[in-house]
Amino acid sequence: MAPKASKGGKAAKQNEGPTEAEEPLQAVVFTDSHEGRFIPFTYSQPRCRLKLANTPLIEYTLEWLASVGVQEVFVHTAGNHSEQVEAYLEQSRWQDTFDSLRTITSAATSIGDAMRDLDEKGLMKGDFISVYGDLVANIDISAALSSHKTRRLKNKDAIMTMILREAGDYHRTKDQHNRQCFVIDSDTSRCIHYEQVRPRKSPRLDIPAEVMKDHVDIDMREDLIDCGIDICTPDSLAQWSDSFDWKRPRKDFVHGVLQDYETFGRTIHTHIVKEGYAARVNSLRAYDAVSKDVVSRWTYPYSPDMNMLADQTYQLAKGNVYREDRVTLARSSSIGRRTVLGEGSSVGEGSVIINSVIGRRCVIGKRVRVENAYIWDDAHIGDDTVVETAIVANEVSIGKKCHVKRGALISQGVKVADGVVVEENMRLAKIERDDDDEVVQGVTDPKIVGEGGEGFLIELNEEEEEVYEALLAGVQDMDLVEDDDDDSDFDSDDEDGAEYEHEMVPAARSGSFASVASNESEEGAELKRKKADFVRTATDSVLDGMTKKQNEDNIQLELQSHRLAENAEDSWIREAVATAFSRYIVALTENEEEPQKPKVAAEAAIMTNQRLITACVKEAGEQAEFLLFLQIDLLHRQQGGEVLLHAAYVLAIEDFVDSVGLQEWWDDSRSSRTQELQDLRDKAEGVVTSMVAAAAAESSEDEESGEDEDDEDEDDE
Amino acid sequence: MPSALAPPTPSLTTYLRSLDEAPLDKSITTLISLLKRRQIRSSRSCALATTKLLIRVVEAGEDGSDGKWSSTQALIAHIRTVGRKLISAQPKEIVIGNIVRRVLGVIREVADRDSETVADLSGSEISGPTSPITITGERSVLPMRLSEFSPRDVLSGRPGTADSVASSTFSSPAAAPQQRPNLMTAPTGTSLFSILQHPQTQTRSTSSPYATPPAGTQSPALRPSPTFKSTISTIPEGGESLDIKAEVLDGLAELLDELSVVDTQIAESALEHIHSGEVILTHGSSRTVQRFLLTAAGKKRRFTVFVAELYPNDHLAVHDTLVNGSLPPVSPEDEGLGEKGRWKALTAAGVTVVLVPDTAVFALMPRVNKVLLSPHAVMASGSLLAAAGTETICLAAKEHRVPVVVLAGVYKLSPVYPFDEEGMVEYGDPSKVVGFAEDGRFIDGVDVVNPISDFVGAEGVGLYVTNLGGCAPGYLYRVVGDHYRNEDIELGRD
Repeated sequence: MAPKASKGGKAAKQNEGPTEAEEPLQAVVFTDSHEGRFIPFTYSQPRCRLKLANTPLIEYTLEWLASVGVQEVFVHTAGNHSEQVEAYLEQSRWQDTFDSLRTITSAATSIGDAMRDLDEKGLMKGDFISVYGDLVANIDISAALSSHKTRRLKNKDAIMTMILREAGDYHRTKDQHNRQCFVIDSDTSRCIHYEQVRPRKSPRLDIPAEVMKDHVDIDMREDLIDCGIDICTPDSLAQWSDSFDWKRPRKDFVHGVLQDYETFGRTIHTHIVKEGYAARVNSLRAYDAVSKDVVSRWTYPYSPDMNMLADQTYQLAKGNVYREDRVTLARSSSIGRRTVLGEGSSVGEGSVIINSVIGRRCVIGKRVRVENAYIWDDAHIGDDTVVETAIVANEVSIGKKCHVKRGALISQGVKVADGVVVEENMRLAKIERDDDDEVVQGVTDPKIVGEGGEGFLIELNEEEEEVYEALLAGVQDMDLVEDDDDDSDFDSDDEDGAEYEHEMVPAARSGSFASVASNESEEGAELKRKKADFVRTATDSVLDGMTKKQNEDNIQLELQSHRLAENAEDSWIREAVATAFSRYIVALTENEEEPQKPKVAAEAAIMTNQRLITACVKEAGEQAEFLLFLQIDLLHRQQGGEVLLHAAYVLAIEDFVDSVGLQEWWDDSRSSRTQELQDLRDKAEGVVTSMVAAAAAESSEDEESGEDEDDEDEDDE
Repeated sequence: MPSALAPPTPSLTTYLRSLDEAPLDKSITTLISLLKRRQIRSSRSCALATTKLLIRVVEAGEDGSDGKWSSTQALIAHIRTVGRKLISAQPKEIVIGNIVRRVLGVIREVADRDSETVADLSGSEISGPTSPITITGERSVLPMRLSEFSPRDVLSGRPGTADSVASSTFSSPAAAPQQRPNLMTAPTGTSLFSILQHPQTQTRSTSSPYATPPAGTQSPALRPSPTFKSTISTIPEGGESLDIKAEVLDGLAELLDELSVVDTQIAESALEHIHSGEVILTHGSSRTVQRFLLTAAGKKRRFTVFVAELYPNDHLAVHDTLVNGSLPPVSPEDEGLGEKGRWKALTAAGVTVVLVPDTAVFALMPRVNKVLLSPHAVMASGSLLAAAGTETICLAAKEHRVPVVVLAGVYKLSPVYPFDEEGMVEYGDPSKVVGFAEDGRFIDGVDVVNPISDFVGAEGVGLYVTNLGGCAPGYLYRVVGDHYRNEDIELGRD
């Protein structure tokens, strides 16, 4: 009899289940991505608490972590909103869900710092998952985890697995501005090269020649969504700690590790997911795309009717309309497709709501039209108002007969008076951050919000790099019409800054090699990489020597041996020395115990190690080059301008550089190539002009001649 | 040292494993999130998880530690609270509500018996809520907008009146004699306890199909009746709560038993429905249907089965089942059975199996003799909540006058009447229909809908086969009525 047989089968138990003691799966959530892309909303709230389809972002992230079986979670917070994140998590249900949930607060200013902080604290017992606090995903990573673990058993040097979601050429959820290109060995799924390709730039990749030799099958993928899910190992943390200047997990870490493959043999692998959903809400554009995905159920089961939070009561109706209890809809109002309505909201007579998310307790007046908009909790919208593709934050009040145009961002608590038109891409806020990063009430601007309104237009302070980038990101990103042919030269991605630091100069140089012939360009590329390697090791050795306060002769000797071993050119040495100096000076000024003034630091550094400079810097051209390297390295560093000023001053006073060298540097178009470099240089202007003037007075040389040279220089570029 | 095995993704198996160690509160929240995340999703899994959890709740006691309950009312109230939480976590899994109500039924049953032993005629505090009239009061809105209205309230004012009819009309031959002894022996027995417990213990030891009736079928006979109460008033009031708890746990163990044998019991009537040479159409890879067909095939019946493949949500599972045989049900006893515990594939048992796309159903229907369905849940009206595509099959069957036989364990029968039919349909991930990566611009412009379940009206169904035997659509309300107490149909909200 069949049932009997099956009973017998059940009785004979096969213990296939995992029996060994499993170490708990750990995860790190970075809630602060060190960008300012959600300004002005993030003035008063951390990004991970912003609501996406009426549920805070961090809930999606933690829910996903719980769904893949993570038991221990460390939430890493930094910056202004640490307490808010901590308080939120403390009262959340996650305290009971995970075996342990800890909030780590640090003063990190980049993901790199956070990683080093984690390494220092030694919390990670084994392999762990690293994600951002703005991840929305439903993918199953068990396959990725087990292939990662088998790989680790075979090869200790496979230090990281990146999880990437496949997504065609164009996708609303994919970052269109920064297309990442992964070169992957299709047999081992090892990532062998990583580069970011920008739209409207040459699509050429600089793939090292060895890579081509070593790997038979190579996939070059540009159709992947990098959702920031990495399976990391303690070894990868150690890597972060070894390279103190790495900041970004892709641009610095992946790039750096891949570059060092020859030396250390560490590998990074990829796992490409073909099913499921994964995306980061890392820009306003992504906010819009992911909201749409959540409402259209691509993220199933994480759609509003899952009622992720215990007090939610969403129900799905036809056309992806989600409605919570106690929503009041006037009989003549019309709720279109893909709409979410939060509890206690009311919609007046004749109003039309399409493709929008309305938070809780919102009051929407009569004959209002809301289309593609995101209206957060407690907002109030007056009669006859039109809201197009825009974000209207918590407790905003918009008067009657207003028009909120596409791309407008209206931040928490703003009041817009009756009849006001909020123009496209305007950012309105009520509070702002002052110079000390404290939240202060802004001054209401009646021209913008009308008489009786509250709020002001966020002015862009161009010196603040963060705001500057955010604005651009915002304007482009909120522009929901496809803006592929956007022609901004600036890029908004967080992974980008590094471009300036190391790669600009080599790129400019190799350009002249590359244009001749294909085999020569390969040589050029190889030379370039060799140079980059040399500069890095040499810089490290010099810096090490200086930090340990070794005799300058010894440092010089070591440098010389490096140079002979690598057959390095003089300019490489200069770059290495300049970089080492700049880092050493910066390190002195940032010394935690006794921070020194830039002036003192520059003097101390240069005077004790002067022979290093004299050994490689002699003629005017070399001097200019040295200063240029110094300048490039100081870019993006704290007090970079100050340091540059004092370093240049000391160099000039001590005659390491003369007026000709200074002038040449000043006129070199590379030194003022970008706005940031220009800004940095401007600080040192005084020294240069006074030195040059002094020299001119002596030799009665005309300053004008310098500018002629300048033109010639530009022709070279 | 990293081990090669990744930690398991949370599922029913991991949940059941963790249930014994984890604190009760955490178990409840874990189940709620597993249900919300749809990591526990089939009817059987939901039923199993709910039953196991409620057993833990009863065991834990009122304050969660000492294992004692101050009164039955406290126990009932607590179970209702936990039950409401589970139901609102996943209102579309009707089975959860069924199990909660069944558990409440068991408790009330035990309480009724107990009160008969201790209370005098004037009635104890328990008699109040047991009155069947309570549900006629104000109806509050349920999460699913299902009203708890049940046709049997209208048709049979009191559940007790038609009970003798119920037991005699069950087509399962075993059920009736089992119930009768109670009715007959109760008045003559020396102790009411021994009468009640005797058949239950017997049930458990033999795993016979009687497990379902105790909750409902016995109760009407034992409702407060002056003659019983006067005879047993001598039993001391002493260990009331202790006994109740033990008896409730016994009842719940039977419920658990029922869940594990339900397929076998349903399959016992296979020979009455499947005959040699027949052509059967079925849908998906339900274990109930597989077991049913296998049983018939085991008796040397030779027949043909068309299987609609359930694209796009479950076709892979269907393919797998047809090629390799059904996976064993997940239950604590066969945990870790894995691939080895698979049932024989139908083809291996000598059945001709044809896998057809869902769209071919109408074209095939003229050749089909019988349609076998195994829905997620059967509502009080007889309508079904089943995998998407079922409605097409039912419509085609109706058109061609092909009988539709629904196989459903009693735990799938719900006392809830469906008013919002559309709201009961669950919508899933559209990427199963149109790949997320396929064409981003296309996805921008369209709404892709992927319903996971279908709501099928009762008019399409010819016969319901439960683990108690077959029953006609018009009679379904009786079977439902026998398993749920009126006062539990409305669970209300917090």
